[in-house]
Amino acid sequence: MSEFVNQEAKKQEEVVNTLPRIGSPAPQFEAETTHGTIRLEDYKGSWLILFSHPADFTPVCTTEFAAFQEIYPKLKEMNTELLGLSIDSVYSHIAWVRTIEEKLGVKIEFPIIADLNKEVASKYGMIMPEESKTEAVRAVFVIDDKQVVRAVIYYPMSAGRNMEEIVRLIQSLQTSDQHGIATPANWKPGDKVIVPPPGTQEAAEERVNDDNVECIDWFLCKKEVK
Amino acid sequence: MACIDDKGNLTTTAKKILNAVSEDFRSPEEIAKDTGLPLFKVRSSLRDMKSMGFVTESEEQTYKIEERARTLLSKS
Repeated sequence: MSEFVNQEAKKQEEVVNTLPRIGSPAPQFEAETTHGTIRLEDYKGSWLILFSHPADFTPVCTTEFAAFQEIYPKLKEMNTELLGLSIDSVYSHIAWVRTIEEKLGVKIEFPIIADLNKEVASKYGMIMPEESKTEAVRAVFVIDDKQVVRAVIYYPMSAGRNMEEIVRLIQSLQTSDQHGIATPANWKPGDKVIVPPPGTQEAAEERVNDDNVECIDWFLCKKEVK
Repeated sequence: MACIDDKGNLTTTAKKILNAVSEDFRSPEEIAKDTGLPLFKVRSSLRDMKSMGFVTESEEQTYKIEERARTLLSKS
């Protein structure tokens, strides 16, 4: 019996520690939110930033929420929605967003999942038991319009996230999809992008002689995209 | 239910969606475009309103208002 209990506990721990990988289908869910019941499938056709925070009414999370709201209009222009999550009740979320509006003058327009049973947090590996067994860490899942996980960012509880980087990440992914390219370090829209390296000697020879790209070497060539 | 308040009145979002489907069957994408509501909100609200018998869904996954909701809408 005790062996069975141990195995079940191990299984549960594995579930908590598992997170969806880049390129895998985003785990489906239905959840109570500040905007009613929402399913992941409701976002089909839009990009989605699903992010978790440790708890409502905490200082770092409050600054993050105001900052997420600040980038929300820009994200919407990029066909990207925001969906928050913490292991708090919907009433706590409602009280908190009302406080943010009252004290900071910022109206939170995106929904927040009330994940009291940790169902969504467990599916997405948002709980790191070594950090906290009862709160989610600061996870960000970028899910594309086909509901595939495209990027994952994890921050500890003590460090607030960088919104400019999140916007830049979406811009990079969407530009890569549109043009079939990659983006270099610190890339910003308007900067040159990286052309995928050639796979054959012949293609490498052609690449270095291609006037439409700027090459440092055959494997590192850049071009402009519009 | 997110489409009616504690007094049994339609919410602002519900009214917008019901007005958009009051004449013809419309797709969630068309409703989102007409109302300016985010597509995820239109889809979740339609699911909610379908479960309450406020809208009917066609085989093509388009939606139209039901009489019950039309009565509520006319009162609001």
